[in-house]
Formats: sequence, C-alpha cells, structure tokens
Amino acid sequence: MTDELLIVDSLSAGYLGEDVVHDVSLTVAAGEVVAVIGSNGSGKSTMLQSVCGLLAPSGGSVRFDGVELAGVKAHRIARSGLVYVPAERHLFPHMSVRENLFLGAYPTRPSADQLGMVYRVFPRLEERTGQLAGTLSGGEQQMLAVGRALMAGPRLLILDEPSTGLSPILASEAYAALVELRRDGLTVLVAEQQVPLALDLADRGYVLDRGRIELTGTSSQLAADEGVQRAYLGV
Amino acid sequence: MTAVALDGIVLGLQFGILGVGLTLVYGLGGIVNLAHGQMAVLAAIVTARLIDSGSPAVVAAFVGVVAVSVLGVVLDLTLMRPVYRQQGEHRVLLGLLLMLGVGFVIDGLLEWRYPIEALSLRFQGDPIPVLGVAMRRGSLVASAISVAAGGVLVMLLRWTTFGRATRSVIQDETGARLCGINPAAVRTVVFGVSGALAGLVAITVAMTRPVVSTDGVNLTTFGLIVAVVGGLGSVPGAFLAGIILGVVNTISAFYIGSYVSTILLLLAAATTLLLRPRGLLGIG
Ligand SMILES: Nc1ncnc2c1ncn2[C@@H]1O[C@H](COP(=O)(O)OP(=O)(O)OP(=O)(O)O)[C@@H](O)[C@H]1O
Ligand SMILES: [Mg+2]
Repeated sequence: MTDELLIVDSLSAGYLGEDVVHDVSLTVAAGEVVAVIGSNGSGKSTMLQSVCGLLAPSGGSVRFDGVELAGVKAHRIARSGLVYVPAERHLFPHMSVRENLFLGAYPTRPSADQLGMVYRVFPRLEERTGQLAGTLSGGEQQMLAVGRALMAGPRLLILDEPSTGLSPILASEAYAALVELRRDGLTVLVAEQQVPLALDLADRGYVLDRGRIELTGTSSQLAADEGVQRAYLGV
Repeated sequence: MTAVALDGIVLGLQFGILGVGLTLVYGLGGIVNLAHGQMAVLAAIVTARLIDSGSPAVVAAFVGVVAVSVLGVVLDLTLMRPVYRQQGEHRVLLGLLLMLGVGFVIDGLLEWRYPIEALSLRFQGDPIPVLGVAMRRGSLVASAISVAAGGVLVMLLRWTTFGRATRSVIQDETGARLCGINPAAVRTVVFGVSGALAGLVAITVAMTRPVVSTDGVNLTTFGLIVAVVGGLGSVPGAFLAGIILGVVNTISAFYIGSYVSTILLLLAAATTLLLRPRGLLGIG
C-alpha cells in the first residue's frame, strides 16, 4: 500500500538493554484510526515512546510519511507532524490553559482560528482558559493534553491511554470527542487497555501481549474473537 | 532609616538580578552555577581593562557583558554537554563540581594576571533627593538598569514564544519536547542570557562600590542564597528574595556590622526555607 502514513517494521525496544517490545510491525494509513490493545505491562507505552522519539528503539525501523525516524530527536518528530499525547499528559502545571495551548503550536504563534477549533472540540477548555493547568480536574487535563496536541495541526495523533485516571463516564466522554475528531478526518493511533472504548472508536486494531503482536484485524473481527473476549471484554 | 532602606533596595535589586541568572540555569538544566559570581567579576575586569586602554565606559561595559555571555554559551556547549547527559542527582552534582572548577579557574587567572585590577564607575553630579534622602547618581543609575533588565526579562519570559518555551522546559521538559521545543537549544540561549545578567550585576555594583578581582566567591554566595530563598527555578521568587535580602543585609550591616550581617542573611535564608521548603515562590 502506498498511502501508509506510519510504518513500524520489526520494532524492538526496552530499558537498560532488556527488550520489552519485540519485533512489532504495524501500519497506519492516512485517515485511519488504529488501536493497540493490551493489558498492563504489555509494552504499549514503550512501543509508542520509541515511535515518537522519547525512547531509542533497540532495533527495527519507524517510517513516518516515508521518512525514517530512528535517531531523530523527539522535538523534530513532533514538528514533522507526528504528535504524541502521553498517558501522564506532561502539561505545564504553572501555566494557564491558554498558554498550554499556545505552546502546542510552537514555534508559531497560533491564530485565533486554531484556538477556536480546539475550543469547539472542548468547550470546557474555553470556560477554563485562564486557569492553571495544574489545578484542572483529571478529565479537563486530558482534554487539554489532546487540545495542546491538536494545536500543532498533527498529521498523525498518537494517544497513550486517554482513559487513564478517568471515571467510566469521563472516559466515554473523552472517546466521544475522539469520534468527533475522527469524523474530521484526523489520523489516530491509540493505545488502550479499556478495550471496548478503543474498539468502538477504531477501524482496526492490534493486540499486544508481552511485547509481541498476537493478533490483528478490523475492530469488529477483534471484538468477535474469543481470545479477545475472554482476556479483555470480560465476556 | 529611610536612607538605609533605600540603600538596601539598591543592593536588593542587584541581588535579584544575580539570583535570577542562577535560578534560570538551574531551573532549565539542574546546573548550580558556582562560577556565577566569578563570571560577573570577569565582566568587570574586562570592562576595567578596556577603560584603562582608552575605551569609553559604555562601550567597555557592553563588551564586558557580551564577553561573559559568550562564555556562558561556550560553557553550555562544551563542559556542560556530559552533564546534561546525566539525570537527577548525578546531573546536579556533576554540574556543581564542574562549575566550581570553572570558578576556581577564573579566580586563579584573575588573581595571577590582574591581582589589583578593580572596576569603579563614577557619575558626575550632585546627589538627587529621593523620598527626602540624597541618593548618589551611581546608585540610581544602577537601580534603573537592574529594574529595566528585570522588567525586560520578565516580559520576554511571559509574552514571547521563546520565553514561554523557556518556562515550559522548566516546568516539564518531556512536555516541552512533545510540543516541538528543543530543550538543548533553550538551555544554550539561556546560559548566555544568564552570563549577560552576571556581567550586568558587576557593572551595576561598580556604580556603587569598586568591584575587585577577588569578589567572585562572595557574589556567587549571595546569588545562591537569593536563588534558593526565592525558590530555585522561580524568576519572580529570585527578584523578591533579592530585594528582601538586600534590605535585611543593608539594615543589619548598618546597625550591627557587616560581619554579623552575612550571618543574619544566612539566618533569614534558613528561616525562610524552614517555613517554605521550596522557597518563597518555589515551583515543582
Ligand atoms: N522506565 C522503565 N524502566 C524499566 N522498565 C520499564 C520502564 N517503563 C516500563 N518498563 C517495563 O516495561 C514493560 C512494559 O511497560 P509499558 O509501560 O510499556 O506497558 P503498558 O502496556 O504501557 O502498560 P500500562 O497499560 O500499564 O500503561 C513493563 O514490564 C514495565 O515494567
Ligand atoms: Mg502505558
């Protein structure tokens, strides 16, 4: 296929010389929403961090829009349009919502349109525009993390467990916002252990188990798989 | 009393700029610049040499400030490289030791080459009354420069894209990288700014009293106390702490004696930290 935006090929990564992600290959095409599902410690975050440059992979290759990303610094990867939202959010706690959003557009000064676009997706952020990010509720922080990433005008948005720390209701709300973004044509790769949420959103998915891709298919195929149902859907 | 307080504010503004230079570099990369005062003195000595050889004072001071600013950039790009590769405590300790070494080297060079050099910048004209106190022109110019430098710095940090990027690296370096900000580049620029601020302190101090080649250690010590009391990494905190400690120092020096005043200064610093472990306006 030629319209693949992200091609991860035989990626290995880990800590202190010991791999926890082994030989992972996956692709994301432009306009697609792809989920990586797996339980605690299966290596989702490790894999995503080595895609976005926060962690140096120990092997394999990552190509974004035809460009090899191995060895490229995280800030360069972000500027090239691959924007990562970590589960820990990494907001700037002593800055206002507005300033956090401004920084998302770095190095340019964002236009009113850009801000307006994010405020349309997350009206709550507009109400809280002057509030310090460190004092926001968990749900609001998640909105801000995604909003800040949107300010960059990403070609690929990578989300690590957007449901982290959210109540079931707030987690569904967060995913509802993602459905809206998906309708606007945003390309998304999302890691999640709340499997029903992720499969509702995504076109396709990969199941990661102990650092390896165990299974892949469309969301409905995965949802119908007995193994997935037993392990993640509590059926 | 008013006269002493005003003198305290003059000194406090200088302390503030001294502390800001230290606090920015620490906040960004965990480097405790124990050569900060020595860099300031270096600017003073460069300025004094240039004036000796016939340069106009303004040009000489400008060159002196730029010279230490460049030194800051060079240090960041060379000696600090292996430091930034370390994390946490290791980084702080290695940075501290290397900058201590830089301080020794500068002190040694100055003592060897220019043992009796001093910078004194005098202003012609009568004292000007402020709140009924006759203030020397040097003190007023020094304070105006400090206030202007501080004001410009705060505005740059608050309202420019680069200033915002600088604060973002202090608050969450990973977050900054994910926004496309290169922390290494920010650190290099800010180390240069910090060097310039150190130079500026030496120039303003020279307007109120002679700066001699052995003043480095004292300036480093005062700067460190100010930065810690203000909360390492906090620019407004450093200004606030600088002014408070400048006033404390001047008042106690006037009524008790200058030796005791340094002890009182440390006591004030220790008390602040006991009450507020992260400093007056400490972050994170
Ligand atoms: N900084 C680290 N140093 C050492 N080991 C780590 C580090 N981070 C993660 N690991 C280990 O790597 C493995 C994979 O962790 P990872 O965080 O990638 O899993 P995950 O799928 O994201 O889990 P979760 O759903 O809990 O976030 C785990 O065994 C974990 O203990
Ligand atoms: Mg994770």
